[in-house]
Amino acid sequence: MKDCYLGVDIGSISTKGVIIDDNNKIIAKEYIWTEGNPVKAVRNLVKILKEKLPKNHQIKGIGTTGSARKLIGLMLKANIVKNEITAHAVGTLTYYPNVRTILEIGGQDSKIILIKNGIITNYAMNTLCAAGTGSFLSSQAKRLGLKPEEFGKYALKSKNPVKIAARCTVFAESDLVHKAQVGYPKEDIIAGLCKSVVLNYLNNVGKGKKIEAPIIFQGGVSKNEGVVKYFKEILNEDIIVDENSHLMGAIGIAVLARKNKIGKTYSLELEDITFDTKATECNRCSNNCELLKIYRNNELVDSWGSKCGKF
Amino acid sequence: MDKVGIPRSIFYYYYGDIWKNFFDYLKVPYLISPNTNKEIMDLGLKHGGDEMCLALKTYIGHAVYLKDKCGYLLIPRIDNFGLENQTCTNFLSTYDIINNLFDTKILNYNINLNNNETLKKGLTKIGIELGKTKHDINKAYKYAINKHKEKKAREITINKNKLNSKKTKILLVSHPYNTYDDLIGKDIIKYLEKENIEVIFSDKFDEKITNKLSEKLSKELYFKYSKDNIGSIVYAKDKIDGIIFLSAFPCGPDSLVNELVMRKIDIPYINLVLDGSSTFTGIETRLESFIDMLKGGLND
Repeated sequence: MKDCYLGVDIGSISTKGVIIDDNNKIIAKEYIWTEGNPVKAVRNLVKILKEKLPKNHQIKGIGTTGSARKLIGLMLKANIVKNEITAHAVGTLTYYPNVRTILEIGGQDSKIILIKNGIITNYAMNTLCAAGTGSFLSSQAKRLGLKPEEFGKYALKSKNPVKIAARCTVFAESDLVHKAQVGYPKEDIIAGLCKSVVLNYLNNVGKGKKIEAPIIFQGGVSKNEGVVKYFKEILNEDIIVDENSHLMGAIGIAVLARKNKIGKTYSLELEDITFDTKATECNRCSNNCELLKIYRNNELVDSWGSKCGKF
Repeated sequence: MDKVGIPRSIFYYYYGDIWKNFFDYLKVPYLISPNTNKEIMDLGLKHGGDEMCLALKTYIGHAVYLKDKCGYLLIPRIDNFGLENQTCTNFLSTYDIINNLFDTKILNYNINLNNNETLKKGLTKIGIELGKTKHDINKAYKYAINKHKEKKAREITINKNKLNSKKTKILLVSHPYNTYDDLIGKDIIKYLEKENIEVIFSDKFDEKITNKLSEKLSKELYFKYSKDNIGSIVYAKDKIDGIIFLSAFPCGPDSLVNELVMRKIDIPYINLVLDGSSTFTGIETRLESFIDMLKGGLND
């Protein structure tokens, strides 16, 4: 039996899973939409990965990352649960030890990680505002009648991207609607949008950060050729987009699961396990915390959300 | 005698102990609103204006909570501490906002050192309004100020000692009304302490020193509390591992200072902007990854 490790990255838009072996080689990988239901998405994901996994392999570690990492960590009984910055950095450094800058744009967050000699020296993440991230792009794609996957190709056709407000999504959307109504061609609007995502990113999380090559661009939005093109153009540097750039978080957390293995063997059978959450409002004090209780096989495994920590 | 209501927000975190000791000495009954909770925050959101910062909305919530429980509300109008040491316009406007919102009688005083309006004059004015003699007020003022100085000295010593700690050290740069408010900064401090971080507070240094030190980063700063915060960074930066800059949305002075720090400081730094949203998840992700980086946990 060969040992292998599962990493799951549950983002707001997509859920990613990889299985790696002891040499960090990818044995199986999958990328599906989260569709607002992380538990269901992970059930599907694990089912697919189980089918892809060759017979003589056993899972010796599970890690979860992404915004639903805690919930799914409980569901899969993961041996490590880590934030996505850590996971992305570890994943990237595994394949690109010389990287200096990681640009990452995901479904609802964006980040920049600066690395020197394999050590993270600084990073930034978007604060309150999710402007210019994947969820904005995919909602605009839908509005223009395109699939998010086609978006980038359309942008490349344009020779003259329209100017779009770069700071705020709400203004950007008004701009987009306006430009379409006065008759600009679709590809110019889409290219303008891709460019505004880049400008927004550089003015927000990239502000004050010294971006040095080699630069790696990852996260779901890195699959958008239009955005990549404008990063190249504006930074005037080569931008590396790995074929697995959208999976880097999952790879990173799988590597961490390997490093932190506890000697246990995990099963990928999830069909028989029930996993439910119940939300209640606590009325014991005037804070009225929203409590979330997590049940695995009808057994209470955790409860979140109370400020006092008692419930 | 009617109680004096003291909102546990903004000014309380600068003057709370002075007021308490002053009133105790003069035997004036007072009521301090409880720690910010959801009920108070909701009152603030309901009565506050759209464009107010989270802290000011919270303040209004506290004032609404107190207004029918007390005979007076204590709300100072704090303008400046001399030339080039202005306070935020919120500090200036709070009295007038509350005065226009409700009928409750307000005890107020001004601090405007450009105009020679000092804390002593302010408290004397309040004491006289409450029917106390000048002699007693003077004694009460001295008592309260001395107690305050002792407390401040103790806090500064503790804070400075933390700079020599062996743990990972983070300087939390924030205004005290954000840092110590139950619904704004408290969860962040709790989280950091649980992760075994030594938390050093930007407001617990000698502001005479930090105010001056801020000039090393910028001579253009305008607001007193921004200067104190920036000065604390200059003071501590060689002894700490990272900086967390915490501000309440949408704070004008902080957004300027944040840009400045981001460009001029070369140690790890994150900015957290809080808007009173109910989940801690997003903040936790940022704190966790920041601590990971500082502890070098990613690089093994």
